[in-house]
Amino acid sequence: MTQLHDPILSVDALVAGYEPGVPIVNGVSISVAKGEIVVVLGPNGAGKSTLIKAIAGLVPIQSGRVMLAGADITRLPAHLMVRSGLAFVPQTENVFVGMSVEDNLRLAGGIVSAAHRAGRIAETYEFFPDLARQRNLRAGRLSGGQRQMLAVARALIVNPRVLMLDEPSAGLSPLLVETVFNKLAQIRGSGVTIVLVEQNARAALAIADRAFVLAEGRNRHEGTARALANDPKVAALYLGGMRAPALAGQRA
Amino acid sequence: MNLQFIADGVLAGAMIGLGAIGVTLTYSILRFSNFAHGEFISWGAYGTLLTAGAIGALSPAMAQPLGPFSFGWGIVAALLLAMALTGALALALDYALFRHLRGKSASITIVMASFGASMALRSLLEFLFSSRPAYFSRELQIAMPVGLGIRVTPDQIALLALTAALMLAMHLLLTRTQTGRSMRAVSENPALARVAGIDAAQVIRITWFAGGVLACAAGMMLGLLVQIRPYMGFDLLLPLFAAAILGGIGSVPGALAGALIVGISEAAAVELVGAQWRAGVAFLLLTGVLLVKPAGLFGSRD
Repeated sequence: MTQLHDPILSVDALVAGYEPGVPIVNGVSISVAKGEIVVVLGPNGAGKSTLIKAIAGLVPIQSGRVMLAGADITRLPAHLMVRSGLAFVPQTENVFVGMSVEDNLRLAGGIVSAAHRAGRIAETYEFFPDLARQRNLRAGRLSGGQRQMLAVARALIVNPRVLMLDEPSAGLSPLLVETVFNKLAQIRGSGVTIVLVEQNARAALAIADRAFVLAEGRNRHEGTARALANDPKVAALYLGGMRAPALAGQRA
Repeated sequence: MNLQFIADGVLAGAMIGLGAIGVTLTYSILRFSNFAHGEFISWGAYGTLLTAGAIGALSPAMAQPLGPFSFGWGIVAALLLAMALTGALALALDYALFRHLRGKSASITIVMASFGASMALRSLLEFLFSSRPAYFSRELQIAMPVGLGIRVTPDQIALLALTAALMLAMHLLLTRTQTGRSMRAVSENPALARVAGIDAAQVIRITWFAGGVLACAAGMMLGLLVQIRPYMGFDLLLPLFAAAILGGIGSVPGALAGALIVGISEAAAVELVGAQWRAGVAFLLLTGVLLVKPAGLFGSRD
């Protein structure tokens, strides 16, 4: 694979899975340059979701290495990841439904000082005006799109270097997918590097710079988003979502 | 009709509430029913008794009753110390036992382990102090009429004020502080809590400590109003769980409301239909409420 000169996130020969000896991710390497949007694609069961969860510290890593901005974060406990600058938005149950929007943001801001936190929450409300209007609403009562926005806002509150998202388009209508992806493009504009796992390849490649395609827990293809989007062989083999956007919401 | 049972019920409810909050917090954050929670109440009572004895021996002035109360500053200081010690006991039990089962064993295994811990802790108390009841004070108190034929003693008023203060502190901790938000987060969604940067181990330690502190206050209260026995906490277990489930397991205001309902209806049963119905009433209520509202009075289902 191509070696980036100075990657902000690099994953080297990662083997990971829930049970020892049963790797779901079997030697995957990816690297991400600062300020990029990188998407990880692949058919169901390719190990995309397990890969991103293993990087985030939620799935045991058997071997391999994860480096973030020069620091080794392999096997760092999940709750310390965010302190090292890596924020993660899970696919489902990604907000605290029993808490207000504001409490969700305050909670996530727990690792920054109270004074700084108030400022970050105010900035977040400017960036997500919908959330500002509903700050006192219980997150469980938000619509699907607003919930996804809150999940992203929660992850951004601590100014991460890298934002990782597991299928942010899952379960959203095509219009909302566009809204969420436009927001992601704006977030990248503010200097945050983004890594996302997606089933909805069409929408993801539209905003991504580069893409990695996984199959059976291994690297299968990589390239610029444009090249992959225009490669009919890749599209037919691995990017089912390109042909059938209606299936885009299905879970991995 | 003599309305005295209302005052008795509120007092019993306050005491049950202090214990039920611990039960409900342990259940929602550690996800098991801790049958050893009653022992924290007993150990808290004996801890306060011993500490008060030591303070009294060092400074007899501290043991002098305070104004209209049957207890002196010695007991107040002893309670604070014993609260910390009972919190430490809960932490020690987690460190020695539950920590090793967490995430590895089925919930029922952990519940059974708590049964074992309960027996061991109770037997140890019996071994150390015998099963003969002990008392904080032999002082007799004159109950003052407060209207409607209800009489309360100065001690009872002080204990109600203590309960109110502790419960308010707990409520503020849970709703207004980052620690409380973290506890609610781990209770609702442990995986997301980790992703949000919350140290679950720290939250678990705070939960045990808070449960121990409140149980100690309940034990001291029961000891001051009735007597201190090795079985005092164990005998409270059923009302504790009834209150926690009635209010909606996981909900602190629910545990308090459930405790008051259990306390008052038990006292009313004694007054109206006879003491033999006392224990049955809590369960009748519990069944009734759960049939209508399966998640409990304050429980949520999302």
